Amino acid sequence: MVWTWKRYLDPATGWRCLPELDGRGMTKITAVEAPNAKTVVFKLERAAGLFLATMARADCGASAIYHRSSLGPDGKWKEPVGTGPYKLLEWKKGQYVDLQRFDGYASLPGPRDGYTGGKKAEVEKVRFMVIPDEAAAKAALYSGAIDVFPEARSADVAELKANPQAKVDVVPAMGMIALLIQTRDPLLKDARIRKALALALDMPEMASAVTDGLSKPNSSAIPSSSPFYSAVHATGFKRDIAQAKKLLAEAGYAGQPIKMLTNKRYTVCFDAAVLAQAMAAEAGIKIDLEVLDWATQLDRYTKGDYQTMAFTYSARLDPSLSYEMISGPKATQPRKVWDDAFVQTRLAESMQTSDRARRQTLFDELHRKMMDDVPIIVLFNGTDAVGMRKSLTGYKSWAAAKPRLWNVK
Amino acid sequence: MIGYIARRVAMALPTLLLVGIAVFTLMRLIPGDPAQLMLGDAADADSLARLRERLGLDQALPLQFLRWLTQVVQGDFGHSITNGLAVLPLVWERFQVSAGIVLIAVALAALVAVPAGLLAAWRQNRPLDVIIVAGATLLLSIPSFWLGLLLLLLFGLKLGWLPVVGYVAMGDDFGQGLLYVLLPIITLVMIETGVLTRMSRASAIEVLRLEYVTHARAKGVPEWQVLLRHVLPNAFAPTLTLIGLILGNLLGGIAVLETVFTLPGLGRLLVDAIYARDYPVVQGVMLFTALIYVLINLIVDLCYPIFDPRVAAQ
Repeated sequence: MVWTWKRYLDPATGWRCLPELDGRGMTKITAVEAPNAKTVVFKLERAAGLFLATMARADCGASAIYHRSSLGPDGKWKEPVGTGPYKLLEWKKGQYVDLQRFDGYASLPGPRDGYTGGKKAEVEKVRFMVIPDEAAAKAALYSGAIDVFPEARSADVAELKANPQAKVDVVPAMGMIALLIQTRDPLLKDARIRKALALALDMPEMASAVTDGLSKPNSSAIPSSSPFYSAVHATGFKRDIAQAKKLLAEAGYAGQPIKMLTNKRYTVCFDAAVLAQAMAAEAGIKIDLEVLDWATQLDRYTKGDYQTMAFTYSARLDPSLSYEMISGPKATQPRKVWDDAFVQTRLAESMQTSDRARRQTLFDELHRKMMDDVPIIVLFNGTDAVGMRKSLTGYKSWAAAKPRLWNVK
Repeated sequence: MIGYIARRVAMALPTLLLVGIAVFTLMRLIPGDPAQLMLGDAADADSLARLRERLGLDQALPLQFLRWLTQVVQGDFGHSITNGLAVLPLVWERFQVSAGIVLIAVALAALVAVPAGLLAAWRQNRPLDVIIVAGATLLLSIPSFWLGLLLLLLFGLKLGWLPVVGYVAMGDDFGQGLLYVLLPIITLVMIETGVLTRMSRASAIEVLRLEYVTHARAKGVPEWQVLLRHVLPNAFAPTLTLIGLILGNLLGGIAVLETVFTLPGLGRLLVDAIYARDYPVVQGVMLFTALIYVLINLIVDLCYPIFDPRVAAQ
């Protein structure tokens, strides 16, 4: 473990989360030591309540621990030798990844818990297959060619439930679908127009229509499945066309078109944008949709080059990370939608303290502030809907929307 | 002959260079880059800059192009940005999957379509012609992905005769491999049979109107001999041209069918690479496809004299 972490902290490795832990970001790891065979000590330059959550971030590779034999003599990857119940058998890039049970793995007792807890390899081999066409994937599930169909679209859930060979497990996920607003736009810098747009939207109808009734509306950056999702966060925008029109009149809005970017790779974004356009029109807001491919939209997002966009954020497992993904200085990070000094101080504190009550207070404050400023209109959280063969037991969907094939047979 | 082939290949070099320049330029004109896609919605400016530097995307575009071109001339198409694999072996591996399906399918389609078109022309405006033309029109009107999905649901799901997803190379296990490519081949045969039948019929009708056919019939040559000896060879040349174009087009990738049938072919590689902005792979596939077009057309041209000796004389 010490070897792995020293490698992570070596700038030559190019670990993408190094800036968070080398003093440029949240804190600095000054030492990683192993005083005995069962203890590892991390020494930090300053307190960081978010340290463990950062280690677990999916985009940090969950700080996976791997054996030094994973690398060749030249320091390049050969194949990962990790700490899990399965080992890599074959990776045919673009086609499949085969895993084989690692007989030397000793599972913890008890049920699975995220990526931890009991992890018993019940089956000898697991194959992750790339099936690019959804209809083909469903046919494969029904025919028994595959056992699990992860990331089923909400529109497929009813069909999967009705099929005698299949069953579905659906849980609220932590990713979020939102309308991003460029607060530096000449028109949308006026918070009254942004708020009018939020008030024009029928959130329950939007969530229900886009997700076939699977998701509930959520106006908070904190996912509804988070333990920090308090009553404060449950307060969202309620449709009020009259109030929206009043705000628009006060702001002097005269029907100027507002361009909303969206894409069809994530159909929830497209559907949400279409509904937002129709609902906003009732309040007199004219929205023009521009449908882009995902890479182009991501480019515009990164550059902050848009008026509004329907966007989907991947899951963040801690509220600080949820707020961090949307707030920050636009001058250096144009992708951030919420640039506010008050927010930055509160967010920084939430990342340092580990006092749960204090963190809750901070997050509640941030939510109230977000409802006032409306730099973003959070619509709802996604769902992790997984179709599987009826004969399969032990598979559970997860709020982080990642497949877990242990304890499954 | 060798000189002719050498001249044709040499003539293709400027075409390939133009393809390379066009693909390189067009890909860079599309917004978005691989670094952004790899880092996703959490990409900060520092991480993006570091990754772009590592991928060589921070260099000036002319420099990137020259570096790529120099490598290509040396037979090195670079490495995929997304998975690090060498592009040329990757393209070749995927091409073999597409080519195996396309060559069999087009050969079968030609075997069905050419006689069908000849028969339809022979019985022009009669019930047999109407049936063949209607069938051909129906086949070429069906979108390939829809037909593929229908066949998949029927033979894979309902009847359970054929596998629904996956791929096994025929070189590894011929029997299993054949099972996996049977449905894509049938789909492609049905689609291409429609196009080729129409072309074959139209060519045969024109030839049937020529005086030497009337003369042969007046001499009392049996009708089957008229068709096979006098009409078919002369009517086949335009169909052969079309076969060449179809082959060139399909060998460049049957992306839709490869997606429906989960085949790791060239078309899917290209589509995935475009979405991922995997520049070296897109450039490699496009250059390879252009080369295939050139070679197929050359082979078709070399085949003309077999059916029409006048071409050889010219």
